[in-house]
Amino acid sequence: MRITGELVKGLWRENPTFRMMLGLCPTLAVSTSVVNGLGMGISATFVLVGSSAMVSMVRNVVPEKVRIPCFIVIIATFVTIVELMMKAYTPLLSRSLGIYVPLIVVNCVVLGRAEAFASKKGVWRSVLDALGMGMGFTWALCVISAIREVAGNGTIFGYPVGVSFSPPLFMILAPGALLTIGLLIGLINHLSLREDGRR
Amino acid sequence: MGQMIRFGLVLGVICLVATLVLAAVHEVTKPKIEEQARIEREAALKEVSPGADTFKAETADDIEYYEAYKGGELTGYCLKLMARGYGGYIHMVAGIDKDGVITGVRILEHAETPGLGSKMTEVKPGEEDPWFLRQFVGKSAASIEVKKNIDAITGATISSRVVTDAVREGADKLMKKLGK
Repeated sequence: MRITGELVKGLWRENPTFRMMLGLCPTLAVSTSVVNGLGMGISATFVLVGSSAMVSMVRNVVPEKVRIPCFIVIIATFVTIVELMMKAYTPLLSRSLGIYVPLIVVNCVVLGRAEAFASKKGVWRSVLDALGMGMGFTWALCVISAIREVAGNGTIFGYPVGVSFSPPLFMILAPGALLTIGLLIGLINHLSLREDGRR
Repeated sequence: MGQMIRFGLVLGVICLVATLVLAAVHEVTKPKIEEQARIEREAALKEVSPGADTFKAETADDIEYYEAYKGGELTGYCLKLMARGYGGYIHMVAGIDKDGVITGVRILEHAETPGLGSKMTEVKPGEEDPWFLRQFVGKSAASIEVKKNIDAITGATISSRVVTDAVREGADKLMKKLGK
């Protein structure tokens, strides 16, 4: 595959949220407002790129049978470094994202890419793949949280949307996330089926 | 057997490197993080006791509080409060003046439901402080009660009640301790 292909595939064709159904747990938890979604997406992208690069670097030394614990240690180390650095040098950012950063350790997009891609490919390809997957995860989170914030809270980016209505509370709670994700995946599947039919 | 030793060694080396890296990062960032926490605490104290310039940490039995001074004169007290909320402990500071009237409340840390209970720290666009906590200012600490003179956050009655009760009970305990 061409090198740019590694970057773009995460955006649509192999989108982690809508296509591979990875990282749904943090998606359910944080997609209550666009600001949260964007923050989670950016921090996850950062950890993805860092840990993919490291996993790719050590891929030839790590024996097959103990690779998963090795990858987890690398990912957890990277997340902790990011968390400590944010607390020390960007306290404002840490205040708004603080609770989401430790969640990234258990985000299966990160381990998924380490296992399926970075452990088999070179460093540069792995970094591009991680960057694309991170951006795909980020835009998916933004779309889901925009829908939930407008429908469940009547605001977008914290600003009122203009029309006043009494927002249904369940959109902010877990059922709203499941419904939104389900409907979006249905829509995306429908679109790509039509696309395939035309070919 | 030889293979097992190799696996253990590789995993051990990776863990060792990770530990060393984390220890180094921790050492470097620790003073900075403590400094940030101190700045934050001080800013919170100043916010809940407007006008005060020096704070003196005090404890009375299990109550932790600060005496707030303005130009050497005692103006009020800042209470460190902790209460069990809906999603975990809520840490907050509440300022009261010498007569028990609330001068401000700030949430330092909480784990309430994002989008519901977390609205207790929500600042509406164009405003400067959280609307929920602003309701407390100017009311007598002994009088506050959800649905009576404090509006609860929609969908987060428990969080709203926990904060209100903690401030009222904390202030009450301190006032009794000080003999007022």
